[in-house]
Amino acid sequence: MSQRSERRGIHVDQSELLCKKGCGYYGNAAWQGLCSKCWREEYQRARQKQIQEDWELAEKLQREEDAAYASSHGSQSQPSLTAFSKFEEKKTNEKTRKVTTVKKFFSPSSRSTTKKEKERDEEREKERERERGEKVQGRRESHGETLLRDLKGIFTHSWEIGSPTEESHEAKSHSPSFVHQSSVETDQVSREFVDFLKSLKPGREIHKQSRAFVESMGNKKDLGADELSECVQDFYQNMSDRLLTHFKGSSEKVERVMDQVEKYIMTRLYKSVFCPETTDDEKKDLTTQHRIRALHWVTIQMLCVPVDEEIPEAADSVVKAITDIIEMDSKRVPRDKLACITSCSKHIFNAIKVTKKEPASADDFLPTLIYIVLKANPPRLQSNIQYITRFCNPSRLMSGEDGYYFTNLCCAVAFIEKLDAHSLNLSVEDFERHMCGGGGGDVSPRRRSESLSPWPLELLSALQERQQQVLEEARDLQAELQRWQEGVAREVQDILDKYPLEIKRHAAHAIDSENDENDRLPPPLQPQVFAG
Amino acid sequence: MAAGGSTAHRTYSFKVVLLGEGCVGKTSLVLRYCENKFNDKHITTLQASFLTKKLNITGKRVNLAIWDTAGQERFHALGPIYYRDSNGAILVYDITDEDSFQKVKNWVKELRKMLGNEICLCIVGNKIDLEKERHVSVEEAEAYAESVGAKHYHTSAKLNKGIEELFLDLCKRMMETAQVEERSKGNGTSHASTGRRGVQIIDDEPQAAAAAGGCCSSG
Ligand SMILES: Nc1nc2c(ncn2[C@@H]2O[C@H](COP(=O)(O)OP(=O)(O)OP(=O)(O)O)[C@@H](O)[C@H]2O)c(=O)[nH]1
Ligand SMILES: [Mg+2]
Repeated sequence: MSQRSERRGIHVDQSELLCKKGCGYYGNAAWQGLCSKCWREEYQRARQKQIQEDWELAEKLQREEDAAYASSHGSQSQPSLTAFSKFEEKKTNEKTRKVTTVKKFFSPSSRSTTKKEKERDEEREKERERERGEKVQGRRESHGETLLRDLKGIFTHSWEIGSPTEESHEAKSHSPSFVHQSSVETDQVSREFVDFLKSLKPGREIHKQSRAFVESMGNKKDLGADELSECVQDFYQNMSDRLLTHFKGSSEKVERVMDQVEKYIMTRLYKSVFCPETTDDEKKDLTTQHRIRALHWVTIQMLCVPVDEEIPEAADSVVKAITDIIEMDSKRVPRDKLACITSCSKHIFNAIKVTKKEPASADDFLPTLIYIVLKANPPRLQSNIQYITRFCNPSRLMSGEDGYYFTNLCCAVAFIEKLDAHSLNLSVEDFERHMCGGGGGDVSPRRRSESLSPWPLELLSALQERQQQVLEEARDLQAELQRWQEGVAREVQDILDKYPLEIKRHAAHAIDSENDENDRLPPPLQPQVFAG
Repeated sequence: MAAGGSTAHRTYSFKVVLLGEGCVGKTSLVLRYCENKFNDKHITTLQASFLTKKLNITGKRVNLAIWDTAGQERFHALGPIYYRDSNGAILVYDITDEDSFQKVKNWVKELRKMLGNEICLCIVGNKIDLEKERHVSVEEAEAYAESVGAKHYHTSAKLNKGIEELFLDLCKRMMETAQVEERSKGNGTSHASTGRRGVQIIDDEPQAAAAAGGCCSSG
C-alpha cells in the first residue's frame, strides 16, 4: 500500500513544482502555483466571469423591477420591449463608465454573506503560505543525496494536507484575491494599526474603511499604475477630508492618523503596486543602473562637491549617507522610504558643514547628493521614486521637508541621466574618452578617495558569481529531479514486471486450484434435496 | 469642506521657491529672514536649503516652506522639478549685475509658460546697499515686473531691508489666490483630483494660536 501512496505523492508534487495548468513552465507560490502566463489568464477569466455574473444579476433585477412596474401599470402596451431597451440603455451606460461600478453596487451584500468564509480562507491561505515557505526552504537545502529524502518528506507532507482536487479547488477560489498575501510583516503592521486606532474615537470606522479599500484594490490589479495611484490618492484625500470635517481632529492629529493609514495600506499593497508589470519602471531601473556604472570615473572635483573626505567625520557622514540611500529600497511604506532619503540628506549636510563650516545651500547640497547617488548606485532607484510619487500621502511630498529632499533626489537622477561634458566642465573629447573606458591622459590621476570607489562593481561581480552558482545548482537540481523521476518510473516498472498483472486475472479462479493434494480430499458436498 | 465661517481656524501651507543666478543673494535672503543672520559663521542651522517659517496673518495661520534651488547654470534644466506645485516664486537678481536681471526675465517666461497664473511671482532686486554700483534701473525693473503680473521689491540681505515686507506681502497674495481657487472649486463638494494640487487648506482647532515670527528651521 505504501507503494501506492508514494506514486500518488509524485503526482501531487509535480503539480506543485510546475505550473498547475500543466503548461510545462514552473509555477510560483505568489500566483497560486501557476506560471505568470497562466496566472494572468486565470485571473482574467475569473474577472470576466465575475463581470458576467454581475451583469446577469443586474439584468435579472431589472427584469423583475420592470415586471413589477408593468403589472402595476397594466395598460402599458409593450412592457417587455421597454424593459429590454431600458436594460440596453443601462448596459451601455455601465460600459461607458467603469464596470467596477456594477461590482461596487453589489459587493456589500455578497461580502457580508461570505465574511466567515473569507476569514476561513485567510486562515487557510496563511497555512499554505507557511507550508510553501518550508517547501522553498527544503528545495534550497536539498543538495545531492539529501534531495530525495527531503522531497519525499515534502510530498507526504503536502499529501497529508489535502487531496489534489481540494488543493486546486482552493486555488481557484483564491485566484482573484492578491490582497491576502499575508506575511509576518503585514500581520505585524495590521496589529500595530489596530492598536494605534484603539485610542481613537473614530478608530473603528478608520479601520473598516482602510480594510475595505485594500479589499477593493484587489479587484483592480489590471489597472495601470497611474489609475492605481489615483485610487490610492483619492482614498487619502477622502479619508483626511472626513477626519478633518467629520471628526474635528486637529491637523497634526490627522497627519498622524494618515501616516498610520498609509503604513497599513501600502504594506498590504506593496507587492502588487511596486514596479508593476504595466509600467517600464524596471527597464528604467536598469538603464539608470548602467548609466551610473558607466559614470564611475566622475570625481568629487568635477561635480564641485564641497566635501573633503580627508576629514574623518565628513568621510563617515558620506558612508552613512550612502547606506541610507541604499536602504531605501528595503522599505515598503512610502513614508519610510522618504525617511531614508531625509536621513541621507542630513548626513550630507553634516559632511558639508564639517568641511565648509557654514550651513549648506542648495548649491552645496545638490552636487553632493548627486555624488552620493553615483557612489551608492541605489537598487531600483526609478521604481522607488515612482512608487513614492504615486503612493505617498501628498501632504508630505508637497511642501514638507521630506518633500524637499525627495525633489532633490529626483533632480539628482535627472541630472545623472542628462549629464554631459558641459555639466562636469570637461571638454567633449575628455568626456567621450572617459565614457569609453580609457582614462584621459591629461586628467590628473585620481586618488582612490576622490574617485567613485569601485565597490559597487565589486559587489556586482560578487553577485554575478553567486547568481552563476545558483543557476548551476538549479541546473543540477533539475537534472537530479529528472534522474530521480526516471529512477522511480523504472522502479515502478520493475515491480510491475516482477509481479505481473496476471495474478489479478487468476483471482477469479478457485483459491485451491494449484493444490495438488486436492485429489485426496473427499468429493465436494452435493446439495441434497429433502422431500418436503 | 465646511463653509466660510470656519476660515479663521485654517492653516495655509505654501511652498515658495527661490530662483536666480548664482551669487545674487538667495541664500542670504532666507537666512536673514528665518535666522536674522548675514554672513555669520555661527549660524546654528545645519542647512539653508529648506527652511520653514510660521506666520500669523490677520488671524490666519500660514506655514511657509522656502525651497532654495541650485542656481548654477548646469542645474538650470532641473528648474521644473523644483518649482512643480509651488504657490509662489521669488526671483532674485543683483542690482549691480545686469546679467542676473536678464536671467530673471528668462525665469518669468518659463514659469508663466509652465504654471500659468496660479503662481505668485515676486521679482527682487537685492543688494540695494550697493546703490552706487547699480546697473539695473529701478524704473525698468518695476515696469517689467508690472508688465508680467509680478510684484517688484527692493531688498538688502546685508542691511536687512525690505525682506519682512517681501515675505509678508507674498503670503497675503498667496492666500488671496488660494481663496479664489477655493471659491471657484465650488462650494461644498471638494473634488479630490483638483484639491490635491495647489494649496492645502486644513481646518484647525480654534484655540492654539501660533505666535507670528516664530521660526522653525529644519536642522
Ligand atoms: N552687499 C551685499 N552683499 C550681499 C547681499 N546679499 C548677499 N550678498 C553677498 O552675495 C554673495 C552671494 O550670496 P548668496 O546668498 O550665497 O547667493 P546665492 O544666490 O545663494 O548664490 P548661489 O547659492 O550660488 O546660487 C555673498 O558673498 C553674500 O555675502 C546684500 O544684500 N548686500
Ligand atoms: Mg545659495
